[in-house]
Amino acid sequence: MHIDDIIHVATDAGKIILENGGETYRVEQTITMICNSYGIQHTESFVTPTGIMVSITNNENKTISLVRRINTRTVNLRKVAMINNLSRQIVENPLSTEEMKKEIDYINNIPPYSHKTTTFFAAGSSGFFTLLFGGNYKDFFVAFLIGALINYFSGFLDDLEVNSFLKNMLGGALAATIALTAASLRLVGNMDTIIIGSIMILVPGISITNAIRDTIAGDLVSGVSRSIEALFVAIAIAAGTSVVFKIWVLLFGGGLI
Amino acid sequence: MILNSFYAFLSSLGFGVLFNIRGKNLIIASIGGGLTWFTYLVSGRLQPSAVFSLFLASLVGSIYSEVMARIYKSPVTLFIICAIIPLVPGGGMYYATLEAVKGNFDASLSKGVVTLFSAGAIAIGIVFVSSLSTIFKKIKK
Repeated sequence: MHIDDIIHVATDAGKIILENGGETYRVEQTITMICNSYGIQHTESFVTPTGIMVSITNNENKTISLVRRINTRTVNLRKVAMINNLSRQIVENPLSTEEMKKEIDYINNIPPYSHKTTTFFAAGSSGFFTLLFGGNYKDFFVAFLIGALINYFSGFLDDLEVNSFLKNMLGGALAATIALTAASLRLVGNMDTIIIGSIMILVPGISITNAIRDTIAGDLVSGVSRSIEALFVAIAIAAGTSVVFKIWVLLFGGGLI
Repeated sequence: MILNSFYAFLSSLGFGVLFNIRGKNLIIASIGGGLTWFTYLVSGRLQPSAVFSLFLASLVGSIYSEVMARIYKSPVTLFIICAIIPLVPGGGMYYATLEAVKGNFDASLSKGVVTLFSAGAIAIGIVFVSSLSTIFKKIKK
């Protein structure tokens, strides 16, 4: 069995987990497990949110290493779960590297939920968050609309490869604009709950959770970088909403409702 | 209270879809969201501190997620993310920003500090449970 094939298969599996929102230690564990199942005793991997470095040594004392850069980070927890299960399975019944490559390709090419589905559920999510924070049924519909629009536009901005700071800032601005308009037309009872509910779908939940879990697992570099990622998203949302508030007051005068 | 927990369940469901969780796991993960919010509300009735309620709720949510991850053999993140999401202090962040825009910096700072404490309480809840779960794993071996 060729040592090059092993390192490529293991690193590709790790890369999928990292790109789709898995924790750092899970990536390192997966790489080590896959290499072990092919009889490699010494595997060292160093994983950060932006790159993977792996070095393996076989029984003839030949050492090779591989570096992979991670450029895109999305959230698709289904792929994480599937790769995780795959790496556990091959410890018990080993696959050849070709079969393993096919499995990994298959998992990597599973389509996510369609854009329409995610838009609908994002809308529902922000609507129900609004109800959760004390809004009435009119607020629900406005938040539903905002959620759908935010998800639709962030899909559009993803196609243009806009960075996440601008994307979240525009999302926050959109939420504030529509909520302010609706409130000034006296369509809704409470503007605050609408904005809080709709910015919840922008909140970086996965970065926060992974930052905590990485830090306690001892992956301090990843922990700090994910915290900074979460902080920047929060700043972007706050900046987006506050710019709209400020412009609104300048244009129409008076206090905020 | 029950109705509110149901709203939390539906919000978590929406989040689960955004994160591409499928099938049985999606429902299990969303129930976690309902459960944490229910804990938060019950705890809010019993004692006045909101930060402590958040800590308790995040504790319950994390225990639920760790148990479910063992039963359904899936990564813990998948469950924990949906369980914790209703607790995330988006409201505190919003009010801190709003007060800052209005020019009330004192109010803004105090809202900001409360938000920071809330986030800290949630984080400590998660840390506590996952540290305990590693101890259990060691004992079982």
